[in-house]
Amino acid sequence: MAQPTLKSILGKRSETTAWLQSWSEMTKSAIAIEDNQKNVLFGTLSSNETQAYPVILDGEIAGYVKGDSNTSIIAPLLSLVLQKEAERKKLGTEVLNLYQELNVIYNFSEKLTETIDPDVIAQLTLEQAMHSIPSHSGVIVLWDEVSRQLLVPATSGDTLFNEERLRANSGILLKIGLSGQSEILSDLSVLKDKGIIESDVHSLIYAAMKVKQRILGAIIMAGKETEQYTAAHLKLLVTLALQSSTAIESAFLYEKNIREVREREEAILRIHEVTKKFVPNEFIRLLGKDSLTDVKLGDQAERIVTVLFTDIRDFTSLSENMTPDENFRFVSSFNERLGPIIRSHQGFINQYLGDSIMAIFPRHPEDALNAAIAMQKAVHELNLERKSKGLPPIKAGIGMHTGPLIMGITGDEHRMDAATISDTVNTAARIESLTKYYKSPLLLSSETLNHIPNQNEYHLRNLGKVQLKGKNNLLSIIDCIDGYPDAEIQRKAKTLSQFNLSMNNYFDQDFENAIKGFQAIVANDPEDRTACFFMDNALKFLKHGVPENWSGAQEMLSK
Amino acid sequence: MEQKILIVDDEAHIRMLIEQTLEELEDEGVEFLSAENGEIALDIIQKEKPQLVFLDVMMPKMNGMEVCRRVKKELGMDKVFIVLLTAKGQETDRQKGLDVGADVYMTKPFDPEVLLGKAREVLGIE
Repeated sequence: MAQPTLKSILGKRSETTAWLQSWSEMTKSAIAIEDNQKNVLFGTLSSNETQAYPVILDGEIAGYVKGDSNTSIIAPLLSLVLQKEAERKKLGTEVLNLYQELNVIYNFSEKLTETIDPDVIAQLTLEQAMHSIPSHSGVIVLWDEVSRQLLVPATSGDTLFNEERLRANSGILLKIGLSGQSEILSDLSVLKDKGIIESDVHSLIYAAMKVKQRILGAIIMAGKETEQYTAAHLKLLVTLALQSSTAIESAFLYEKNIREVREREEAILRIHEVTKKFVPNEFIRLLGKDSLTDVKLGDQAERIVTVLFTDIRDFTSLSENMTPDENFRFVSSFNERLGPIIRSHQGFINQYLGDSIMAIFPRHPEDALNAAIAMQKAVHELNLERKSKGLPPIKAGIGMHTGPLIMGITGDEHRMDAATISDTVNTAARIESLTKYYKSPLLLSSETLNHIPNQNEYHLRNLGKVQLKGKNNLLSIIDCIDGYPDAEIQRKAKTLSQFNLSMNNYFDQDFENAIKGFQAIVANDPEDRTACFFMDNALKFLKHGVPENWSGAQEMLSK
Repeated sequence: MEQKILIVDDEAHIRMLIEQTLEELEDEGVEFLSAENGEIALDIIQKEKPQLVFLDVMMPKMNGMEVCRRVKKELGMDKVFIVLLTAKGQETDRQKGLDVGADVYMTKPFDPEVLLGKAREVLGIE
């Protein structure tokens, strides 16, 4: 800041000039004022030798007042004016500095709101501190609760601390960094002796970063001059430190929050994924809901679906020869093979009931039939494997029926389950049990068949009608042979029309012709146990006659 | 021609702070004029024709916007560079300031470095 000059107070419009003008007129004195380069600032020099009275500011001559003896009073007056002007300027400069500091703090506050990253906040803070408090080097240290270490997220200028020495004397850094104090250090002998800071560092200033009583860390800066830092510097540094402390604390909390929210979300997602495996998603969707959490007691829906049951033959006797663990693994391997087949045919498994599976095919009945064919073939594959291991084959039966089904969420407030209720289910189950009776592994009802458009693609045998217990309508039972190995299908296909013809004879009670037909079939394929079954029946009826009211329809035995 | 800066603000400490900020220009020969309200400001602008005017918006008698409008729009004095100053929180008036012809709009507390830089730029003194 430049000192005021005579020129600056004697400007054209200055009050001093105006006053001098008046004085000069009033006293009729000749007066001239010169600066110390002999430039005339006021009045005119007369040729008369006049006195030169010096004007002094801070012990130095600023210029001369020249004139007669009356003007002697002017020089000291001007000195006073200059002095006052100097004081005014000094005050003005100090106020301007404070104003600038205020500006810094405002701008810094704004900058802090723009980021949520603790490292960035530390860097911005150190940048600002180094700008406002010129220093040779600076560093911010923060205490990390989790790793129990002192972190250094920001550095500036020359390296402040000798790392190696620091670790050997970490206690000292901790003392400064976590003391919670703010001060200017001039006695740095301890730090220098231990070689922690360079010998050319002569001043150290640091301010604690804390929130309420918790100490987060500190800003530490150093300079090469002695007495480089003033109380004003310390005050500013403390202010910056406090501002950034709250910002960093918020940033840490924010990060922690985000982390926790993400972990919770992941946990919920995992639970969700798992529940889908226990209550089929398809079931929930058929109820018109998106997920298990949307479902409530009493939700229900009615649909026409195909229900399919599959069952392991003679499981009880098989399981007698196995340990509980072997039993479980046996059933599991069965389920593991059939599950994917059902799903790949747009069906879903409604329930595993011990050795049997209940599946639902909501779309097309031929989905169920195609699935059943694939399942039968899969069991055949399984048996080939078992044979090679010396294990007995598994015999499974598959039965299906199409009809209305009510599915819903039943139970009570504390125990709910997905349930299906309808005759369709019972009928499907009974049809599956008929596989044992008719000695055919794959049976479907006429209800299912009627909804299959391309029936010609399948090899089907009519096994007559059954009377559903307690109902008036008769249901036809159809045997599908497409699940056998190809060679067997060929064999049975040859006698397909003969079979259906013989069945007609059978129902017309023309047992002689029926028997003839069946015999031919059995001769062709002695393994055809269904043909054998009807042949034996025909023989029995031929010999003993039919029972009273025999319409050809079997009474549905209970499952 | 002699360079002049007019500082207009009803608060004495702001006038002083701006003068203090631009002090070095005074040492370089720039003349400083000041006014504490809009009426006086208008008068000085017409008489002295300063190259640069720092004009506070919130003033009694005549506010800065009105002064600016008269000078720029009515009197058509486009050689006068006007910097409007306003307290933070009235930034929505920025557009209004530009509408009345202000050359620059600054908020208080002003950044002294920016203010000095702008003055040097306008007066062509680097």
